[in-house]
Amino acid sequence: MKLDRRTIPYRIVENGTRIVGIIIFSIVTSSAGSGSSGSGFFGLSVLVALLTVGMAITIAWEYARFQRYSYELTSDTFDIHSGVLSRRDREIPYERIQNVDISQNILQRFLDIAEVRLETAGGSGTEAQLRYVSTGEASRLQEAISRRKRGAGDEATETESEEAVLFELSDREHVILGIISADLRLIGVLTVAISAFAPQVASQLGPEFELVSVLGPAVALAGILLFWAASGVLQIFRYYGFRLTRREDELRYERGLLQRYSGTVPLSKVQTVTLRENVLARALGYASLTIQTAGYAPGQDGSRVESAVPVARRDRALALARDVEPFDDVEFTRPPGRARMRYAVRYTLVVLGLTAALRVVHFFTDALPRWYLPLAALLVVPLAAHLTWKHRGYYVTDDHVVTRRGFWRRNTMVVPYDRVQTVFSSQTVFQRRRDLGTVTIDTAGSGGLGGGDAVAVDIDAGVADRLREDVADRLQRSLRARERVPATTD
Amino acid sequence: MADPVDDPAATDAAPGATDEASGADEPDAHGAETAPGSEQSPQATLDPDAISEHTTDRRTLSASVQLIWAVRVLFGVAVLGVLGGFAIGQTSLDPTLVPAVTGVLTVLGLVWVHLRYRVWSFRVREDALYLERGVVTNVKTVAPHVRIQHVDTSRGPLERALGLSTLVVYTAGSRGADVSIPGLTTEEATDLQQRVKELAIAAEGGDAL
Repeated sequence: MKLDRRTIPYRIVENGTRIVGIIIFSIVTSSAGSGSSGSGFFGLSVLVALLTVGMAITIAWEYARFQRYSYELTSDTFDIHSGVLSRRDREIPYERIQNVDISQNILQRFLDIAEVRLETAGGSGTEAQLRYVSTGEASRLQEAISRRKRGAGDEATETESEEAVLFELSDREHVILGIISADLRLIGVLTVAISAFAPQVASQLGPEFELVSVLGPAVALAGILLFWAASGVLQIFRYYGFRLTRREDELRYERGLLQRYSGTVPLSKVQTVTLRENVLARALGYASLTIQTAGYAPGQDGSRVESAVPVARRDRALALARDVEPFDDVEFTRPPGRARMRYAVRYTLVVLGLTAALRVVHFFTDALPRWYLPLAALLVVPLAAHLTWKHRGYYVTDDHVVTRRGFWRRNTMVVPYDRVQTVFSSQTVFQRRRDLGTVTIDTAGSGGLGGGDAVAVDIDAGVADRLREDVADRLQRSLRARERVPATTD
Repeated sequence: MADPVDDPAATDAAPGATDEASGADEPDAHGAETAPGSEQSPQATLDPDAISEHTTDRRTLSASVQLIWAVRVLFGVAVLGVLGGFAIGQTSLDPTLVPAVTGVLTVLGLVWVHLRYRVWSFRVREDALYLERGVVTNVKTVAPHVRIQHVDTSRGPLERALGLSTLVVYTAGSRGADVSIPGLTTEEATDLQQRVKELAIAAEGGDAL
């Protein structure tokens, strides 16, 4: 089968503008450099000629590319034949395909075409990118691939189970999503920094900046609110109309206002499930849910940190998480009390270090007469240490190990034993002093930004050694159990 | 994919295997050094005798690996020294600081190299490859045989000159190549590669993901 015909004009425009841009840029810069911009007509005709040639090549290339690109759904592989000058034939076995994603930007939606991406566990990049097929064809492909992955063959089975809607973002949740998108850490730091130091810096710079010292905090506040609103709106655009459905053992989501995304998550390939709640979300009783599969490197590019559920009431998010990975009730074991002491020392050192740095800056520039201001933060060090401690913990259930960390953004990761790849415990010099250790549980779900591995931080060193061996041991047992009772979840 | 032929017999043999292998593998000598709980119930897909033939006691690296690390440290310090020498010319600081600091760094670096060598140890257990390493941050890794995708030995130019090899064990985890053992003699590396490979094959536990 071929790509959609509308691909040709779209890609000509897409690549054409790029080429035209490069040509114009290089001509403008080179003629500006030579200084002989008076060559007038000659320069213009060269420009036109180059542009014409460039466009002609683009058009020819895109047409050839379209002609030479074909794909095919065979009975057990997805085949792609491509390449104008060097040919490439690729066969991807269906059972190796982890995710099938569809995305459309505004222009593509207008043209009714979409990009389809197939992700497999191997390799770092996307295994196949179909740019572009018609919207109808895209969803047909998504369906067909997931059907063949189940081994159901062709459309014969019309009796297949209906898609069950698991979750739909309500209007209220759209608003909450916007509100909790704010990163309070940033806001806190900015408020303190700007309101404390902006007036001083401004007054040093000159009298005409005097106004800033009065308006400084107000301006800062306004800026922060604006930033908050902007990131909220962005987030709402990104997840607008979010909808999660389930068919057999596959989840499918749709989202996005301007740029539409739709993708599938095979439940049998789920590596870890993460419940994320930042401070605001916790205060409002909401949480978001992320599902890591082996195919993805979430956060590869910024727009693709995949939330399975961007925001839902906490109990709802938990229930959905249990749908994916049925884990028991969790009662976290916190790090021992001496870990709290460690955080207090750490934060104190950070505050002292910052103050010292400001003092040095003041020494050289004389710009910060109130360099000692950060020392006030020492007052909240005990509280900060306590909060850090309070939100860390781990729990071992019969089938899962659960870890939790982070005050500002709390991540609770659920790892089924049979997904564990390696386990290691580590002790830094500072941890050794207090007989603490950290256990890291590595899975094939590529952590990426913010996700990371499941980590039980600062637990008792002896407990860490035991936990490490326990997890490795339970991995063996769960694999053996899975062999004995074949095809429980897979 | 799992080899279904092996499985039923293997799982049946599990209880017996536990007794035998953990009994065989309990030398008091290193009981205190290895972590609590390291007496593992073994992977049950190979008969216990074959497994215990493949396991090793706690081993350390060959001493000449210190030379490689030392060369690296000295190179790093030399680069720093040259850069520092240029930088200090721009300031009013005492230029004799450079040799002093480089000297201290060299000593610290060499002490670190020796400590690192002292700390480094590994062991092929019944269920997993176990590594212990790190001076500043001490790390103990358990890489279960079931999870091993493939095993490489690699030899850099410096290693070749000293007759050493590095064993690199790959898993599907996001820290895939994190499991590597440097400073092995070539024969030892080949032998280990063989052992780990066979254990990995024997421990085949279905889809690696």
